[in-house]
Parts: sequence; C-alpha cells; structure tokens
Amino acid sequence: MIMFGKIARDPVSWASLVFTTVLPFLIASVVQATEVLIFSTVTLACNLLLGYTGFLSFAQSAFLGVGAYACGYLLVHSGSGFLVSMVLATLAAAAAGALVGLLATQKRGIYGVMLTLALSQMFYFIAYAASDITGGDNGMSGIVRPDIVLFGAKLLRTDNATAFYCLSGVFFILVCVLLRLLLASPFGAVLVAIRENEERAIAIGYNTRLFKTLAFVISAAITGAAGALYAMFLSFAPLSNIDIAMSEKIVIMTVLGGSNSFFGPVLGATAYVLLSNVLSVVWQRWLLLLGIILILIAGFLRGGIWSIVVWLWDAATNMRSRRNQKNLAATQEGRQLI
Amino acid sequence: MLYVFQVLNGIGIGMIYFLISIGLTLIFGIMNFVNFAHGAFYLLGAYLGYQVALSTGSFTLALITAPLALAAIGWLSERYFLSRLYDIPHTYQILVTLGLSLVIQELVISIWGPVGTTVAIPEALRGVIFIGGFPYPKYRIFVVLFAGILALLVWFLLERTRYGALLRAGSESTQMVSMLGIDIYRLFSATFALGALLAGIAGVLSAPLRGTDPFMSGEALAIGFVVVVIGGLGRFEGALVGSILVGVVQSVMSSVWSEGANIMIYVAMGLVILLRPRGLFGRA
Repeated sequence: MIMFGKIARDPVSWASLVFTTVLPFLIASVVQATEVLIFSTVTLACNLLLGYTGFLSFAQSAFLGVGAYACGYLLVHSGSGFLVSMVLATLAAAAAGALVGLLATQKRGIYGVMLTLALSQMFYFIAYAASDITGGDNGMSGIVRPDIVLFGAKLLRTDNATAFYCLSGVFFILVCVLLRLLLASPFGAVLVAIRENEERAIAIGYNTRLFKTLAFVISAAITGAAGALYAMFLSFAPLSNIDIAMSEKIVIMTVLGGSNSFFGPVLGATAYVLLSNVLSVVWQRWLLLLGIILILIAGFLRGGIWSIVVWLWDAATNMRSRRNQKNLAATQEGRQLI
Repeated sequence: MLYVFQVLNGIGIGMIYFLISIGLTLIFGIMNFVNFAHGAFYLLGAYLGYQVALSTGSFTLALITAPLALAAIGWLSERYFLSRLYDIPHTYQILVTLGLSLVIQELVISIWGPVGTTVAIPEALRGVIFIGGFPYPKYRIFVVLFAGILALLVWFLLERTRYGALLRAGSESTQMVSMLGIDIYRLFSATFALGALLAGIAGVLSAPLRGTDPFMSGEALAIGFVVVVIGGLGRFEGALVGSILVGVVQSVMSSVWSEGANIMIYVAMGLVILLRPRGLFGRA
C-alpha cells in the first residue's frame, strides 16, 4: 500500500504514462513509436548503471542480443507462448548480466569499462559461432508474434501494430515504476553512494561489488526483456543486435538525453530514433554529425537534452514568477525535485 | 608441424596486436587516459596505407607515409583537443574519444565506401618460403620480423633513452616529473603521437592479411583491451607477452575449432581476471 502511495505521488511515473499516451499522436507512426518505447526502456536500464551507479557499460548489446535470441529461439523452436518466452529471455539476459557483472566489477574505473567492452565482444563471437542457433551473419528469422494467453484465455493479439504498441507501452511504464521504486529504496541509495564515492561506501561496510553486480543483473534483465520485445517487433533477431556498435548506440542515446536525470535517457532514445529515421534517408553518413554532437555534449552539455528542457522550464517559470513577484530561488529549488 | 605453423601465424598476428596495444597501454600508463579512438587510428592507418600503395604502387612508401600521417593526426588531436580533457571525469573522456572514433569511422566510410576491400600483398613479399620442407607465406615472415624490430626499438626507446626514463617516471607520478622541471604536456603529446604511429603501422601491416573494412576499429579496440587486461596496464612486457599469447591462442584454436577461436581469447581474459586481477605483469 505504501508502495502504491509512493508511485501515485511520483511525477516521473505519471510522466511515463503521459509520454506513452501522447507519443503515437506526436510522431504519427505507431511503428516508430514502438521502436522509441523499446529503446527508451533499454536506455533506462543503461542509465541505472551509468547515471545512478556511475558504471559506464558497453555490454548492453550483449544483454539485448541474449534476450532477443532466447525469445526468438523459444518462439520458433519450442512453441512456447508469449509470457513463457519473455520470462525465460529475461532470465537468460539476467544470467549474462551476472557473468559480466561478476567479471567487470573486479576492476574499478576505466578498467571496468574496458572489461564490459571486451566481454560484450565475447558474446558477439559466441552468437557468431553458434550460427546453427542464432543464424550467425544472417540473423534469426521467422519469429512470429504470438497471442498473449493466460490460463487458456486469450488476452491480446499482438500481430497488429497498435496492440504491439500498447504492449510495449505497458512494459515501458512497468519498467519506469519498478526502477523508481528501486531507486527510492535503500538499495538505490547504496548505488548512488557508490557513484559518489566508492571508497566511502566500502568504508561504511557495504559490499560494493555485490551491489554493482546486482545493478548489472537488473539492468541486463530489463535490457533482455526489451530485446525480446524488439525481436518480436522486427520478427527478426539480427547479429547487429549484439554488436559493439549497438552498445555504443545505447550509450549515446542515454548520454544524448542526459544521464544525470531519470527521464532524460527517454528523450535521448526518442531523439535518436526519430533523427536516424529522418536523417538516414537524407544523408547516410549522419553518424558523423552524431559523433560531433556526442563530443559537444560530453564536453559542454553534460546534462544532455534534459538540461535544455530544465533550462527552458526555468526560463518560463522565471518569467511567470517575475510577473507574480515571487522569489526566483524558491522556484528553482522546486524544479530540482523532478 | 601444422601446429608449429599455427604458432608462427599466431606470433605474426600477436605482433600486430602488440603494435596496437602498446600505444593504448603507454597512453594509459602516463596520462591515465583511455583512448577509445585508438582503434580508429588503426583503421585510418589501414586505409591510408591502402590508398598510398594503390596510387603510388609502393608498399614501402605506404609503410612510411601512412604511419607518419597518423602520428601527425595523433599529435594534433592531443595537442589541440584531447589535452583539454585531462581534468574531466573518465566517463566523459571516454565519450569524447568515442565521438572522435565515430567521426573518423564515418569519414572513412564517406571516402572509401562502406564495403571492405582486399589488399594485395606487395610484389616483393608474395610467394612462400620453405621451412623444413613446408611452404610458409613470405609476407607473414616479413610481418613478424618487421614488427619484431619495431618492438626492439620501442623497448630501446623506453628503457635506454631519456624519453623512456621520463615516460616510466611519469607513469609513477606525473606530478613529481613536472616538478623536476619537465614539460609534462610535451611528453604527453609525444607519447600520443608514438601510440598513433604504432597503431598506424599495425593498420598498414594487417591490411594485406585481413583486408580493410570500416568496422575493423571496434575489433582492434576490443583486442587491445584484452591484451591490456591480460598483460597488466602500462607495461611493455605485459603488452608484448599479452599480445603474443592472444595471437597464439587465437591462431592455434582456429585449427581446432575455427568458429570458436575468437571466443577462447575472451575466456583466457576471464581466467586472468579471476586468477590474477592485476594482469600477468601488473604491479601491486
């Protein structure tokens, strides 16, 4: 009950609901909106590590790929239904997360980042070598979207675009709510403590490696579930899912949106998906522009798109508050809470 | 006998890995800075070398000019761009160099196209040499010898020259070195240029072996990281032994289980992390 109260009072959880409702009307394509939601979820998971734990992970593509392959394999070969495939894919990705977490957290700082990239490459080569399961270079094809059946009752057909959007929307909101609860819990506080000063967290008596590994497991589970959805969305699981370039893409989306806020990465994923859909038609080498944007953001605008939103909001409220003769500092302080 | 050749192949690949990873490890050792664009330097080296060899017909010229161009690019990017980043958190340093590597990769694609090419082995190094009655490609022998001589030169530079002494002292404490009146920033630029030069040579040398494609940078970066993890950061011996180990494991495994050869090097890395977290030659 307390949990429900927390969520009901949490503006970000409400924002995720509003975002999901408004998005298809704003961009007028349900298919694109679905892609945006799936990648938004993936960036939220990435930001659990990057923004909250302070661990830059280049292994996110491994989790996405494992989830996609596991779900695809189950749907194509075992005939298991939607829910079973999703759950097992999530568990498979969580296991991959545990492995990466255990190894990568042996080292702190840059060394840890290098390990995530190397381990991610290992998963790529495993997927490449196991071509009779994953299809290797050709990818895994023939994945069909199953109906959602619970205790023999058909709940939802997922083979049309709108239904699949709703499904992705429910998943996205669910992940937002879960992550908000997690971050508001003592567990979340420890993660932030590790980000701020790991030595101090250790000195207080926390087993920081355990916490960081758990953060990897949770992040991987979410990413893997999103990967499973992505495989059903495309009806296909390409090798590029598990490529380093995918990890880079996920990290770039997260940073573009702003890794020091909860909702920023969602804006980053939205901007990236929309930009890539528009620009890749006009100018194939648009990633060049993205590279430059990434350099500028890392150099000058660490808050990403989110900080621009906050700045605009502040400017707007400041104008209003001047009109109302209110105290500027008070409104700015109020803004910080979101 | 087959295994002897696989080991020989492995040493050849390993020497190329050494040229890639020594730059990475030296830059990290002294500047505490991980350059995610290092793979892109290797990529650019391969393409510049390919272009020079194609237009002039001289592989020797390619082997000289392309790495020098890379050294210049490395020096310039450190001097005027990356040197501004030493004070910002590691995460953002990585993101900036990631952005740089993306820019280089896209430039390469817009100039040379997205599809890889095969690169011809230079005329003089085509054909085979008979070793104990078995044929072995001349070019691979050349790579081992050439990179071996370079490794010796790098060792000499690090262990027997003033520059090397400064570099080794700097990896202990840059502050102390700069207090002794050394312009530490010039040392940084020089090291960065050296790293880029060696990565460029690795690119030129490996192009005839594996061809070129615009996405070879990520692979090289990952291998560089594996070598650095196995060998221990900032160490010449670590980079050398780690590289050859990775090359030999990859090469020998490829005759046993060809699809899994690449997996085994990451398994080896995992074992090293668990058994010797500091790497084989890492300092306590």
